[in-house]
Amino acid sequence: MDESTLIARVRAGDSAAERALYDAHVDRVYRLAFRLAGDDALAQDFTQETFIRAFDRLGSFRGDAAFSTWLHTITTTVVLNGLRKVKRFRQREADIDDAHEIGTMQRHAEPDLKARLKKAIDELPEGYRTVFVMHDVEGYTHEEIGAALGVETGTSKAQLSRARAKLRVALADFAGEWTT
Amino acid sequence: MMQEHEDPKFDQWLKDRAQSYHSPLPTPREEMWKRIEEARRTKHVIELRPWMRWAVAAAAVLALGIGIGRWTAGPVGPSPDSGGTRVAIEIDSLADQAYEVAATQYLSRTETFLTAFRADANRSANTGRLARQARDLLTTTQLMLDSPAANDPRLRSLLGDLELVLTQISLLNPLENGRDRDLITDGMNQSNVLPKLRSAIPAGPVPARTQGAL
Repeated sequence: MDESTLIARVRAGDSAAERALYDAHVDRVYRLAFRLAGDDALAQDFTQETFIRAFDRLGSFRGDAAFSTWLHTITTTVVLNGLRKVKRFRQREADIDDAHEIGTMQRHAEPDLKARLKKAIDELPEGYRTVFVMHDVEGYTHEEIGAALGVETGTSKAQLSRARAKLRVALADFAGEWTT
Repeated sequence: MMQEHEDPKFDQWLKDRAQSYHSPLPTPREEMWKRIEEARRTKHVIELRPWMRWAVAAAAVLALGIGIGRWTAGPVGPSPDSGGTRVAIEIDSLADQAYEVAATQYLSRTETFLTAFRADANRSANTGRLARQARDLLTTTQLMLDSPAANDPRLRSLLGDLELVLTQISLLNPLENGRDRDLITDGMNQSNVLPKLRSAIPAGPVPARTQGAL
């Protein structure tokens, strides 16, 4: 069954079609949510919220773009808004904790490449990190990213380029690995 | 044309190494589908009707009134009569705005708090502070449970679930909480409280002061 027929059946209230549509897309939605959130509970929350919204708003899907594009627009909105809320909550916690921990900072051992890379990606500005994860890690095209984030394809390319440049600086200690 | 900082070798190396970044677990399809189905079933039932919004607002205004009362009370404050009038005027003028946002704000705050609590369940967040925040939310939850809003069985069930979870968090022992936190998180997952809570939050954009809903 092609996707437009499936969508029509979902609109008509066919619960089996809902499940089929979910099965067709859930892996990619969950993967993206997990890559951006780095946490299983959050990734599950974001995935569930994405599909709940998608089913509720399916009436507004006009079919101008692919369903997956429309779905990933919802995914990125849900994930990025959700992460901002969690970040604000954690920041408030950290601000108060910091006030009690001045003078107790410890110098950590030099982490390995994997940890350094994770930290460097985590510290990218939100827009750069999102584009980098979608393109270089999850394999989305710039066209898909532009459509999902509501930006021009050129903006997506520019943000990826800046993200890579920042990561190159952050990982300069490991330059030997990619120059040999 | 290649940009100044482009380096195909670095780009490929980075791409390969970055596959380890937040490497996803297998998709928990069935668990998520069950929660989606349940949330969608309850979504159309837990709609805050106009009278409920007033009831929720009354609870919020009561809490607000207590706050204003505390704020205006003081050793060099106005006489009780003029202070009372001022508080009444304040409450009257705020009530119209309060009922618009009270329900969404309460539900959004609780949802943010529980989402962050669950995400931080294995981290060393400050348990004492979490317990205090849970107690604040618990007060509003109990006001809502005592209001006519709780006559709706679905909303009452949701408020009951929230009361239980918030009570458990408010009683967390800062010295020995790892297992307790796990139990609370398991309980939240089993009762499906977060999806139900999200279903009760009105769809669409919400006022900025509510900090937005997922």
